[in-house]
Amino acid sequence: MENNKKEYMLCGVLAIIVIIMSILSPDRFLSLYNLQTMAFQLPEFGIIALGMMIVILTGGINLSITSGSALAGIMAAFILSGRVMVGASIGMSIALAIGVILVTSVLLGLLNGFVVAYIGVTPILVTLGSKTLYEGISMWLTKGGAISNFPEAYYWFGNESIIGIPVPMIIFIIIALITYVLLEKTPWGTRVYMVGSNPTAAVFSGINIKRVLMQVYVYSALMAGLAGVIMLSRYNSAKVDLGSSYLLQSVAAVVLGGTNIAGGSGKVFGTVIAVAILQVISSGLNILGVNRFIIDMITGAILIAVLTLNIISNRRESRRKSDETVLVAENRG
Amino acid sequence: MKKSLRVILLAALVCSLFFVTAQAKEYTILVMPKLVGIPYFNASETGALQAGKDLGVNVIYAGPTQADAAAQVKMIEDYISRGVDAIAVAPNDPAALTPVLRRAKQRGILVMDWDTPADKSVVELSVHQIDDKVYGEHNWDLLVEAMGTDEGEYAIITGGLAAANLNTWIDHGLAYAKEKYPNLKLVTERIPSDEKQQEAYRKTLDLLRAYPNLKGIIGISTPAPIGAAQAVEERGLQDKVAVVGTALPNDSAPYLKSGALKVSTLWDPAKLGYLTVALAVKRLNGEEVYDGMEISNVGVIDVWDDGITVIMGPPTDFTADNVDQFDF
Repeated sequence: MENNKKEYMLCGVLAIIVIIMSILSPDRFLSLYNLQTMAFQLPEFGIIALGMMIVILTGGINLSITSGSALAGIMAAFILSGRVMVGASIGMSIALAIGVILVTSVLLGLLNGFVVAYIGVTPILVTLGSKTLYEGISMWLTKGGAISNFPEAYYWFGNESIIGIPVPMIIFIIIALITYVLLEKTPWGTRVYMVGSNPTAAVFSGINIKRVLMQVYVYSALMAGLAGVIMLSRYNSAKVDLGSSYLLQSVAAVVLGGTNIAGGSGKVFGTVIAVAILQVISSGLNILGVNRFIIDMITGAILIAVLTLNIISNRRESRRKSDETVLVAENRG
Repeated sequence: MKKSLRVILLAALVCSLFFVTAQAKEYTILVMPKLVGIPYFNASETGALQAGKDLGVNVIYAGPTQADAAAQVKMIEDYISRGVDAIAVAPNDPAALTPVLRRAKQRGILVMDWDTPADKSVVELSVHQIDDKVYGEHNWDLLVEAMGTDEGEYAIITGGLAAANLNTWIDHGLAYAKEKYPNLKLVTERIPSDEKQQEAYRKTLDLLRAYPNLKGIIGISTPAPIGAAQAVEERGLQDKVAVVGTALPNDSAPYLKSGALKVSTLWDPAKLGYLTVALAVKRLNGEEVYDGMEISNVGVIDVWDDGITVIMGPPTDFTADNVDQFDF
């Protein structure tokens, strides 16, 4: 935690990939249009990754994150498409829809948090179960189809820009800043890291682990909900599998960003850079017309390469440290 | 650390250079299936690429690896950045594609759909494999022909009760049969088979037991006729019960040859891919697309009064004699 080596390396990797893409297709990759497109694509994924990260920090995982997004999105879609609350004005129904997304998310988060924190079931099992549960409810609500045709005004969240910066990007930046301050600048954040690195020590330090876990799962679900707000707007419809492809990608981004999968360490900045790396690879290779299967392969290979580098540098570090301790001990002796 | 970074850089560079597509020819046309890597869409890829070769245009056939609408949207966005002249897409979720297709249109890209219709207000051409009404009725005609009589008992095995396209075909067929073949007697409601050959086989065995006078079975959804034929063949009833329906030629071949399946009918996805590219080129060249137009290597197409919807033509029937000419 004391240095930012991992983050510097990630920035380096990002810079290299950007340079490669720019050399390979200078007129297309660096075009304003493509930069804007990427800025539209990144936020929904980034927000989900942040929601995933905070849970992983506590040593857990949230496999229900995208299903929660979809379920909250579907509830809102019923209002936006005018299937329920017929006759409400457009402004009303948008406000109501966003309210419904946030309330649903909090409830879904409370459910996960309660079972993990107070009953004590392993997070991976709880969230695998709630994933199936949420998907079942979504399927039952939609009968497998898509709920679509929202008012034009709702497009704003996913498709408009303010002085050239996409609205979803602004939302993402605000959320990333809030998450950064909460996790890395407040006592609450320190508690989250402590719960992840050593729960027993945390208990003896007087931390209410259960409450922290509960809050973490609610925060994660809220992130899923906010990503849902953007996805609904960008895709103009809600379906059971809305954003399902982000589930494992978000775990990949969090780990690529330097967060320890066992919990206890990791930085918001690292996750954000990792999301950007995955985005640039995906868009850059699409622009080059590379086959989608090969894009998946390259993404996987880069992930493995960076993780390997992380582990090697960690090992070197700990070896140097232990050497130093030995030296100190010898000097004293 | 620096060394490893250098290795990554080099590897990535080599990989990317290796896979960069050839330089653009006159037009670049993106044909996007619902997903890549399944036989149906592999067959249409062959057709689309062939059309590109024949007509001297650069065809990119690319789609997501999962049938996910969000993935399709992102790929289309990236291809808009790349710069293409036309986009023809088979949407996983029509509504989800509307915003991005509208953006493509604003940037002067020709937007079309193929295989499955997108939002009608954003496409300039909508290429359909088949006229649903014609196709539904065609299955009943085939049944009567295979039974050798227009009276007797028959049953329908469908893929799933909620599948909209299958229901449309069956509804058209039933309405047509009521008029044209009043002596055909449907023994029971359409039977679902979960899009599985095994399930269609099991349901057919039940049917044969419950209705000993059954003369015909129509299978709607590609595994259904195959499962039905399998059951009929096993019971040695191929001369008594005529099985027809919608099936892929590769699956049908053994049963067509044994006589358990009389005829199967579908469209040729390779031809559909070919037609999509051919029409895109015509539109890009500023040519009209009109009813009764002849497209080389495809045939005469129908264009509806809306000026958008194009029907590739009548279905292709696969029989024991011609089935080996097809590979999908």
